Amino acid sequence: MRLQVGARTDTGRVRTLNEDVFLLRPEQGLFLVCDGMGGCPAGEVASEMAALSILKYIIRREKPNVNAAPQDDQYLPQSRRLRRAVERSNQYIYERAHADPDRAGMGSTVVGAWISGAIVSIAHVGDSRAYLWHRNRLARLTHDHSLIENGEHKNVLLRALGREATVDVDVRELAVQPDDYLLLCSDGLTNAVPEAAVSKTIARVRDPQRICDELVKMANRRGGPDNITVVVVAVVGSVWQSMWDWTRRLSGGHIAAADSAS
Amino acid sequence: MPRLILRLDDRLVNRWPLGPVVTIGRLPDNTIVIDSPAASGHHACVALDGSDFLLEDLESTNGTFVNDARVSRHTLHNGDIIRIGDHTLEFDAKHGGDVDARHAAERIVSNPGDTVFLDADKHQALLAMLQEAGADGHGAAAADASRVGVLRVLNGRADRPEYHLQAHTSFIGKADTSLVRLKGWFTPKVAVVITRSDQGYTATRMRSSARINGAPLTGHCDLKEGDVLRVGGLTLEFGFSR
Repeated sequence: MRLQVGARTDTGRVRTLNEDVFLLRPEQGLFLVCDGMGGCPAGEVASEMAALSILKYIIRREKPNVNAAPQDDQYLPQSRRLRRAVERSNQYIYERAHADPDRAGMGSTVVGAWISGAIVSIAHVGDSRAYLWHRNRLARLTHDHSLIENGEHKNVLLRALGREATVDVDVRELAVQPDDYLLLCSDGLTNAVPEAAVSKTIARVRDPQRICDELVKMANRRGGPDNITVVVVAVVGSVWQSMWDWTRRLSGGHIAAADSAS
Repeated sequence: MPRLILRLDDRLVNRWPLGPVVTIGRLPDNTIVIDSPAASGHHACVALDGSDFLLEDLESTNGTFVNDARVSRHTLHNGDIIRIGDHTLEFDAKHGGDVDARHAAERIVSNPGDTVFLDADKHQALLAMLQEAGADGHGAAAADASRVGVLRVLNGRADRPEYHLQAHTSFIGKADTSLVRLKGWFTPKVAVVITRSDQGYTATRMRSSARINGAPLTGHCDLKEGDVLRVGGLTLEFGFSR
C-alpha cells in the first residue's frame, strides 16, 4: 500500500498567531494534527509539544514488559501504542504547564492516524477531526469532545491534552483500501466549510496537496475565523492496481459505482 | 442571576453574571481579566457547587482574600468582597433570577471561534443542567457498542461454528493472526477485514474476491443483521450475539 500525502496550515483571517501544527511521518505512517490553546505563546508551545512528544513515544524502542497487564482491550498493538503515546503526551504537557507559570493553562487537541499495512489506528482528544472519504462518501471517524457537537457551543472543549493529569483517549481502527482518502483537520476547517463541500472538493481535486490548498482557501473565503489545518492522506494501490482501476474507469464501471454511492 | 462587580480604587470597572465556571486572572483567556501585575495568570475561579458559588484560589502567588482574610476555598455569600491585588470583586447574590445554564454556557465562550477548555469536574453542574434542558450531546451511540457481532458459518469447512467479533479489528484470511482462518493455495493472508466502532461493524475487502449478499464486496460495507458474506469457500452470516 502506497500513501500520497498533502498538508497545509494557515493562521486564518482573524487570528494573529497560528497555534495549529501538523506532523507528517509518511515513512512511519504517522500523521498528526494538533490545535493548541492557552494564548500567546503557550498555545503554540502546547500543540508543538503534543505532536513531538507523541512522535517520540511512538518511535521509541521499548523493552517488552513481562509484567504488563493482559491485553484484553481488544485493540491491535499499534493502536494501544498510539493511545499510550497520546496519554504520555498529556502527562508531559501537564507537567510542563505546572512547572512554568507562563505556560499555565496551556493545552492542545490532537487527532492522529497511524497507518500500518491496511489498518489505520485513529486516536483523538478534543475537537480536531478525522474523516474517511471513499467514493464520494465522507464519513466522520471521530466524536468531538466538546459540549455539544455541531451545536452553538461546539468550541467548549471537554477534553484536551495537558489540562488534567490523565486524559481519556478515543481510539478506533479501520481498514483502508486503494482510492480511500483520510483527512485530518482542526476545527478551523470544520467550523467554516460544510462536510458536503469538503467531500465535493476531494472528489473534484483528487491530488492530496491541492485538496489541502483548496480547503484552506475555502475556509478563508468563509471568513477564516480560526487557524486552519488540513492533512490529506491518499491510499494508492500498486501500479498494476491503478492501471486496472483506470481501465475500469474508462469502461464506465467505476464511474457508475461512484454515482450510485453518492 | 448572581454577579461579580469588579472595582479598582472604588471605581466600577465591569460586572459579570456568574456562570457555572468563571475564571479570574491576568491572562486573556480568563472570563474576568484583571490587568494587574499582582494577579497571577490564572488566579482564582468561581464554580457553581450545587446552589452555592465556590471561590477557589488557583495557587496564586499573591493570594485571594475574602473580606480581608486569605482563602484557598470559600463559599460565597451575598456582599462578600473578594480582593485580588488592588482590585476588588463584590459578590452580588441578589441580582436577577435563577441561573440559566444555556445562557451561562454562552458566556463561557468569549469569542465565537475561540477554542476554550472546560475542566470536566467543574463542569458537571452545567452538563447536568444541559441534560435536563434536553440539550444533551451524544451518548446514545455508546449504547450499541456493547453488542458483539457474530459470524455464523452457514456453509464451508471452518474450524468453529461461529466467530465472535470482539476485537476492534478482525481478520479473515490465511494469516495465523486471522480470526477466521481460510485455507487454499491462492487465498491471501488477509482477504477481508472487519472493523468495529460505536456505529457498528464495517467489512473491507483486501485482496480477494468476496461477496456480500451475492454482490461483489467493494469498498467499505456497513454490516447489518442477516448479511451473508462469502469469502474463500466459506459462507458466513453476520448477526449479533444474544
